Amino acid sequence: MGDKYGLRGDLVQGTLDMLVLKTLSRGAMHGYGIVESIQQSSDDILRVEEGALYPALHRLELRGLLAADWGMSENNRRAKYYRLTAVGRKYLAEEASNWARLSGAVSRVMQTA
Amino acid sequence: MKLEWLSVVRLRLRALWHRRRLERDLEEELRFHLAMRAERYQQAGMDTGAASQDARRDFGNFTAWKERCREMWTFYWLETLRQDLRYAARSLRKSPGFTVVAALTLALGIGSTTGIFSVVNAVILRPLPYPEPGRLVELWGNVKRASVERRGTSLPDYADWRDQSHSFEAMSWLEDAQFTLAGGDEPERVAGEYVAHPYFGMLGVRAALGRTFRPEEDEAPQRDRVVVLSDGLWKRRFGGDPGILGRAVQIDGQSFTVLGVMPPWFRGITDAAQLWEPVHMEGTAEDFANRGSVGPAVLGRLKAGVSLAQAQSEMDGICRRIEEAWPATNKGRGVELSPLDRELVGPDVRLSLAVLLVAVGFVLLIACTNVANLLLARSEARQREIAVRMALGAGRGRMLQQLTTESLLLAFVGAGTGILMARGGAGALMAASPITFPSFVRPGVDPAVLLFAVLITCLVGLALGIAPAVHVRSGNLGERFKQAASHAADSRGGSRFRSLLVVAEVALAMLLLVGAGLLMRSLQQLTGIHPGYDPDHVLVLSVSLPRATDDARTVVSARDILRRVAAAPSVEGASIGSDVPLTGESAIFYTAEGQPPVTAQNIPRAYIHAVSPGFFRTLRIRFVAGRTFAENETQDSNVAVVSENVVKRFWPGQDPVGKRIRRGRPDSKSPWMTIMGVVNEMKYRGLPNNPTADPDIFVPISERSRAFALLVRTPLDPASLTPSVRKILHDADRTTVVSNVATMQELMARETARSRFTGWLMAIFAGAALLLAAIGIYGVMAYSVSRRTQEIGIRVALGADRRDVLKLVVGRGMGLMGIGLGIAVAAAAGLTRLIGSLLYGVGPTDVWSFAAAGVGLALVALVACLMPAARACGIAPSVALRNE
Repeated sequence: MGDKYGLRGDLVQGTLDMLVLKTLSRGAMHGYGIVESIQQSSDDILRVEEGALYPALHRLELRGLLAADWGMSENNRRAKYYRLTAVGRKYLAEEASNWARLSGAVSRVMQTA
Repeated sequence: MKLEWLSVVRLRLRALWHRRRLERDLEEELRFHLAMRAERYQQAGMDTGAASQDARRDFGNFTAWKERCREMWTFYWLETLRQDLRYAARSLRKSPGFTVVAALTLALGIGSTTGIFSVVNAVILRPLPYPEPGRLVELWGNVKRASVERRGTSLPDYADWRDQSHSFEAMSWLEDAQFTLAGGDEPERVAGEYVAHPYFGMLGVRAALGRTFRPEEDEAPQRDRVVVLSDGLWKRRFGGDPGILGRAVQIDGQSFTVLGVMPPWFRGITDAAQLWEPVHMEGTAEDFANRGSVGPAVLGRLKAGVSLAQAQSEMDGICRRIEEAWPATNKGRGVELSPLDRELVGPDVRLSLAVLLVAVGFVLLIACTNVANLLLARSEARQREIAVRMALGAGRGRMLQQLTTESLLLAFVGAGTGILMARGGAGALMAASPITFPSFVRPGVDPAVLLFAVLITCLVGLALGIAPAVHVRSGNLGERFKQAASHAADSRGGSRFRSLLVVAEVALAMLLLVGAGLLMRSLQQLTGIHPGYDPDHVLVLSVSLPRATDDARTVVSARDILRRVAAAPSVEGASIGSDVPLTGESAIFYTAEGQPPVTAQNIPRAYIHAVSPGFFRTLRIRFVAGRTFAENETQDSNVAVVSENVVKRFWPGQDPVGKRIRRGRPDSKSPWMTIMGVVNEMKYRGLPNNPTADPDIFVPISERSRAFALLVRTPLDPASLTPSVRKILHDADRTTVVSNVATMQELMARETARSRFTGWLMAIFAGAALLLAAIGIYGVMAYSVSRRTQEIGIRVALGADRRDVLKLVVGRGMGLMGIGLGIAVAAAAGLTRLIGSLLYGVGPTDVWSFAAAGVGLALVALVACLMPAARACGIAPSVALRNE
């Protein structure tokens, strides 16, 4: 995978969760859409080993952070669409602010060093 | 967030129901992803094959990710358990011989353990059938003599206890008695209780019909004669007539009004009561006021929150005050509070059952070692399979889990059969038991027993899992394969483990054998006991003659009865006495003429029995000096026969005949009685020992005696005489009541019932242990010979003769046995002390019991070793070497 970050291993699990939740905050999406969206928004830097996304999605669904419905995709195939639940929204907000604090702190350290 | 796990469990449970849909959806979802990705690549200009290949590569391991998702939705452990169970069931089915033998062995072990536990549960653990039974206590008056002895209390003391104490919700006099019920065809002797009015309320029982006593009905003096009947008596005697209330029934020649009928299950604390009368029903006002006369124990219910110790200390204070106020009668008297359940099931029975539970637990352990040995042999045969599975990536933990599942499954199959056995067995055991347990004791498989069974089954299953685990070693793969492939030698871990099993088996069996040996030796001593009289060929009956009524009908006298019975065919001799042997308890203080001053602690006390002159001859009691009463000596002649200890205490070395004693304390005014004869000490009040060491005094029985014990000696089987003696008694007077018919031997057997129960069960368990141990030793030795066929063959080829081979096999077996025996002897020396109170006439380290057990076990082990050894001797080197 070269200089791109595979999401499994290099990024902690919580980060993938957060990215998924963030992506879904813009509206319901199927798994493939989420992968595409993350890659595009990160200018292709964050590449997921695509299969790894699904255990994460299912775990979030089980925890009640996501809900899922079957619907028709843009090319008329049955697809499983995930959306944020109220709990998921709240969780995302917490995680986002944590992340901001953490990354802010890290970059401050990196700048002073 | 807090309830997150709940959401997880809920969704997983839902998935459990829709597992097929879950599977389909998951597949479809992931396939959709692949299809989308492939489509995208195709749009970018790739051909179909390359596009879908790249899509798959981007996705990673499809099956693995799908697995990960599915695991999330299911209870993972449940899933593996299901797999393991299926696998275990398949592998057990594949070797039915092993499965049946192992399951049956475990069924025997688990079944008998569960069976004994269900008896323990019913007798000891399950509470009494009364509400809040923990608050019920018995209050015993005790008296300080050489040691503190238990007594009952007197009515005035009871009244003081009741009125002055604050620890009790209620208190009731509780005296068991025999009543003669007349009316109808046959008069009948029935057991009953004298109780105070709170009695029924304390036990939480109400009359099923009518009512129980009111407070004014148990006051002295009695105004009305009232009675409450048991359901059994009401149905049997009065045909269950609901019109019985208010009717008069004839009890002991008086007319009593029936107040109520109790529910069927209720038989009073004595567990035999058929009717209840209020306290103060029998006796005079003088009797009631006498603090010196000692009655029964008192039943009390503690107030909620009051501890036994608090109540005891309050009662101690009350007793000290009574003692100060009435020193003449109450000096040295105290009170002892004892929980009712301890009273109903005594410490001896508790200890016996505990010992039996431990013993049967040992049997279970031995059964387990046998099965462990089987499992070990099996897993050795499966070593290659295990090695392959581990080579293919099965983790060590996963392997152990699978093997444990197998042994657990085996244990539960055994337990299922075992619990069924226990259900039947416990009932049969109670029915066959010579100990009479209270009627509310009904062993069965209740939740506690089931929990126990499941618990020990799990323990057994897990423990058995250890056996094959010695083969699941991580380590060098090649090494493992090599070992699996070689049949040449006993695998080292397996061999050590098997040796351990033999040692454990021998040690456990030895412990049981020693225990059984000690108990059987006690039993032998008990049955060989010489009670000081000859109990063979004697029939004992309780007889109650009708009272002399006002009409001129001449009533039959005790002397008439005696003459008629003595004249009957096959009667060698007959006599009457005031009490039935081994039950009577009528102690008196007495005074010997010219005795030195005595204290409350050593004031002479004896048990007094009124008997006819033929008594000593009927029971073949030996006279040390003097003679029995003459026919014309009556109770007014003031003569007595005493047992040896009276003489030893007051007139050692002198001629006792003609010396005088009298009833009562030194200041008593009762007439002096002349000693006519002296008999040997005898165990007339209890076996193996009299309850107290006091001597016995015999006096002539009154001519007017209406209720007495009749003793008949016959050269025949005494029980066969029962019908003819009954007929003589009824011919003498139709209304004579005969009860408690038993041979003297039966009466003695009742006294030793607990010892026989424990002894025989222990012997059965020890026998089972010995058999299982023999099978186990044989199994291990036979297996080891079969594994070492090649080695033995080489030895023979190199010139070893039969003796050497024999020595090789037997030597190893007996060496292991020796270790086990040594461990057991050391352990037994400590453990048998715990059953010291169950032993009679043998010490807990009785050499004979130990020696017999050791020799017996060694012989059995030798035979078990010899059979495989003989086979080893037959090994021809050529065959052995081709064996590979």
